[in-house]
Amino acid sequence: MSDWAVVTENLVKKFPQRAQAAEKTEAKKKSFWPFGKKEPRPMFTAVDGVNLQIKRGEIFGLLGPNGAGKSTTIRMLCTLLEPTSGRAAVNGFDVVKQANEVRRSLGTVLAGERSIYWKLSGRENLTYFAALNHIPPAVAKKRVDDLIERMELKERADELVEKYSTGMRQRIAISRALLARPPILLLDEPTLGLDPQAARNLRELIVDLQKEGHTILLTTHYMEEADQLSDRIGIIDTGKIIALDTPEGLKQRIDQAEVIRLEVSGWDDKIGAQLRSVAGVDTLTPRKLEQDSQWEISLQTANSRAILPVVVEKVNHNGTRLLNMNIVRPTLEDVFINLTGKALRD
Amino acid sequence: MESTTLARTGVISNLRALQAVISREWTIFMRYPSWIISLFIWPLIFPMAYLLTARAFSGPDNTGLLQFQAATGQSEYIGFIAIGTMIWMWQNVVLWNVGFALRNEQHRGTLESNWMAPTWRFAFLLGSSVPQLVSMLLMLGVSTLEYTLFFGVRFEGSLWLSLLVILFAIPPIYGLGFTFASLVITAREANAFVFLVRGVVMIFCGITYPIAVLPGWMQAIAAWLPQTYIIRAFRTAALSASSFDAIAPDLLMLALFGAFWLCLGYTIFKWMERRARQTGAIGQY
Repeated sequence: MSDWAVVTENLVKKFPQRAQAAEKTEAKKKSFWPFGKKEPRPMFTAVDGVNLQIKRGEIFGLLGPNGAGKSTTIRMLCTLLEPTSGRAAVNGFDVVKQANEVRRSLGTVLAGERSIYWKLSGRENLTYFAALNHIPPAVAKKRVDDLIERMELKERADELVEKYSTGMRQRIAISRALLARPPILLLDEPTLGLDPQAARNLRELIVDLQKEGHTILLTTHYMEEADQLSDRIGIIDTGKIIALDTPEGLKQRIDQAEVIRLEVSGWDDKIGAQLRSVAGVDTLTPRKLEQDSQWEISLQTANSRAILPVVVEKVNHNGTRLLNMNIVRPTLEDVFINLTGKALRD
Repeated sequence: MESTTLARTGVISNLRALQAVISREWTIFMRYPSWIISLFIWPLIFPMAYLLTARAFSGPDNTGLLQFQAATGQSEYIGFIAIGTMIWMWQNVVLWNVGFALRNEQHRGTLESNWMAPTWRFAFLLGSSVPQLVSMLLMLGVSTLEYTLFFGVRFEGSLWLSLLVILFAIPPIYGLGFTFASLVITAREANAFVFLVRGVVMIFCGITYPIAVLPGWMQAIAAWLPQTYIIRAFRTAALSASSFDAIAPDLLMLALFGAFWLCLGYTIFKWMERRARQTGAIGQY
């Protein structure tokens, strides 16, 4: 058995760009005749040379903004997509040449809550997917009962899924992934769309699953979630792994830095430009808050005490007003900003 | 770790998975009550326009029917039209239901979760077709009963020969459906093709008239369409006391068409499966 649960070597996935997205060449614009020699379609690189080695029994977080390549990586690992080049192995099986062995080794929950049938009950869904996963009927019945019990769905297991809450549907989707007791779980944005309580319960479940020996590859764009759950984190942006370490290791990279968080109203980009030019400010990232006209501004600096008076003075101009201010330790979000110059939520 | 994976491989496991797909599809089908319309009401309504047109053309003393009898060898014009429209409805429903089976899974969001299971992929298409086939066979039975009760049609042929024709009709009709299902996943939109195919069947296969009335070039095209043979053989078997020999040439043609369309359907499915892994078409809407 391989020492690694998941290995990828220079994994690349390219997609042909859609016609409307790909800019037409001059020659094509002028040509009326639709046939003849076709120009190669421009390609979009979603995953660009990803190298990962995930240990057995660890929770590995893949953290990155939307469109960074997290889901495409997961889809290649669970055999829904074929890599354009490079190689990936799950539980020692090649994802292209031994796809069925890979599927038997994996339980996958893709983002979204529609991976189960809404016109079937929770129990009917699990019984159906147990058969698809080739679990013998006698074993399947007990397994379905156990999972329903574990997910606290016993009272409503025979109701149609369309009557369930989002959190309950997610629990059925996770039960589906656990049915065959696979050694490796791929969880793609598992807490997306859940209310805070349901998300907390799910995070506890993920920790329990690790204790039972499952290897978990978790993708998320919630930095707190990655920080709290992951033994190691790979930060992915524009298809590339730009950093890979333990959460503490990643934060230590900018440990000498401090982060000044300002809460302001009425943000003006001109003030941002002025603050960036202040000696000692490494990065500045504004983020609009949900409240109208309020912004959170993060400034990374090596010495907050030295620049604080200048920052405060420059902020209170052109209708911008400082509402609150904190000096905090760097988070994974700050690591991401430090590496890419942009916020995770951009 | 609790223990090793519970999944077991083998032919029996794949057959159980196929059975599970059939059972799932049947359960969902029964939970949408609109099937009652397709089963009881649509077979009565759909041929009505053709039947009333035929009644108008037959004249007040039915002299027009002599012309019809001379061209078709059949006096039972209502049965003649009913059988043509039943076969057309069957093909039409297969194109919409089987042809869009995978696409509908894609819309539900369940295609990927099915596709990630370590099971025989063709089972998803095959399994989705079985409940649909059962419902269509029920519709044929109900239609026959309704035409007998409400229109006084006399099906004087052999029940067993009629069932034999239906059996031989299944492979070409569903083979075409399988081919469509795979192309729909690739093209993501196939309504225009469905309209084209059912239009071709309506015009060329003689659902309400004998193909003898068509010009020669249209008859040549009709000879390449399995529905032509299904309709002709079914009329021969159901409406008049005929022997097996009368329908044997049509059954032979249906066997050939069936083999061709099933092979084509499976080949295109395998091609689509591979292409979808390369392009990500399975997860796209």
